[in-house]
Amino acid sequence: MIEIRGLTKTYGDIAALRGIDLRVSVGELCVVLGPSGAGKSTLLRCVNRLTEPTSGEILVAGQSPPRNRAELRELRRHIGMIFQDHNIVPRLSVLKNVLTGRLATMPPIAAALQVFPRADIDIALFALRRVDLAERANDRADRLSGGQQQRVGIARALAQRPQVILADEPVASLDPKTARVVLDDLRRAAHELGIAVLCNLHQVEYALEFADRIVGICDGRVVFEGTPAQLDEAALSRIYPGLDAEIARAPASARRAQERVI
Amino acid sequence: MNRFRFLLGGAWTFRRRLTWLGLFFASAVVLVWSARGIGLSFSELLRGLPWIWDLVSRMLPPNWAFSERLVKPVIETVQIALWGTLLSVLLALPLCFLGARNLSPSLALFHVIRQVFNALRGINEIIFALIFVAAVGLGPFAGVLALSIHGGGMLGKFFAEAVEEIDAGPVEALRATGTRPSLVVVFAVLPQVIPSWIASTLYRFEVNLRAATILGMIGAGGIGFELVSSLKLFQYQDTATCVLVILIMVMTADYLSSRLRARILAP
Repeated sequence: MIEIRGLTKTYGDIAALRGIDLRVSVGELCVVLGPSGAGKSTLLRCVNRLTEPTSGEILVAGQSPPRNRAELRELRRHIGMIFQDHNIVPRLSVLKNVLTGRLATMPPIAAALQVFPRADIDIALFALRRVDLAERANDRADRLSGGQQQRVGIARALAQRPQVILADEPVASLDPKTARVVLDDLRRAAHELGIAVLCNLHQVEYALEFADRIVGICDGRVVFEGTPAQLDEAALSRIYPGLDAEIARAPASARRAQERVI
Repeated sequence: MNRFRFLLGGAWTFRRRLTWLGLFFASAVVLVWSARGIGLSFSELLRGLPWIWDLVSRMLPPNWAFSERLVKPVIETVQIALWGTLLSVLLALPLCFLGARNLSPSLALFHVIRQVFNALRGINEIIFALIFVAAVGLGPFAGVLALSIHGGGMLGKFFAEAVEEIDAGPVEALRATGTRPSLVVVFAVLPQVIPSWIASTLYRFEVNLRAATILGMIGAGGIGFELVSSLKLFQYQDTATCVLVILIMVMTADYLSSRLRARILAP
């Protein structure tokens, strides 16, 4: 579970987040919508402190804020992260990539010598089965397609056995069919494994299809919070000011066609 | 560089013609001045031609029997190059992370390490060899130390540059899982740099082998000693054998190493 209260982040004079309050429950897929530059990425990166917040309170899985590097690593151990460009290591095997999700708990010298505990290998293989890639475990990661690489990224996060997963635009570089597979993986991870998933998206139609709850962010503030059914045109125009709500709601293909005409 | 960009393209303005003319005369002056400094003279070369021809004719045919005596020096030369390369890798490995801008713990340390690499690189192997001959005495060990120190600076720079070119994404992803920094290096940095590191090391071995062939001239071991001795004893046919053996050795190493490098760097 994630609980965020009064979170702000400023870069010099520029305020990226201006006081965010947000709660993601156990087993819930919460999608964050918002225009580019609204602060979606910054919000996610504050949760695992890849970005240090300026002020505010973030509680993840009941852990207190980290006071030193060791506590920071302990906090991150419980938070999986999925990136837009998957960020897997191309020259390592699929299985080793997933095993990197377990490094934080392994004996370091054995791990450096590529000796992995049996239990960790089992957890990694289980995570790979969940994303349907168990039979590719020994292939080099860069032999896989873009969608499969993203799913290796999901398996790496699942291998952490996290209480929270942060997904930063996980389908932005995938085709619509693969994107649905990836988002379905994430939704099942939330519902079946009881993980609190906080996921940034920029496609409204995916949010409507997959989210349990949607949070709309614009200019560093929460401007909408509710179920997909509650996301009406008024809400969309608050999230995307100046954008025709019909266009925002339309499928991406139709939207691209519209944009070309405009 | 930007100030000179106007020289490369665009219209031939008056100012541009004038600049080119100025550059042309400046280079001509520098070249003539240098030629005087070094006593460059075609007439001297022409007058020397018969003597060169005399020397070459006395080198021919090479004395193949002499090659028997070269077996040991050739092996020693390869051994010097091997250990010189290995020790420079061991010197470069721990330092290269500190000398890579993206991984160095502090910018000051990064600059210090880079300057250390530059200093080691900047001094020729032969100069190091002269120092080590004085320090540890005549023999191949002085040569090995010389190659290690100079090569350590060279490889340190290459290794550090490879580290700087990695994709930061996997590094961030592993940090985000709570992995300790040493294991982030093992699992996110090393897989990205190792092909380039191996290629640099192989290339360094080629360079070290060529350098090892002349270390003997100053008493630091290897085949160079035989070459200089034969010259001093006016045994020019032996000298020719030495030169040919060196040529075969260096060309073989270059061929093997460049094939290996091409295979390692292939995607």
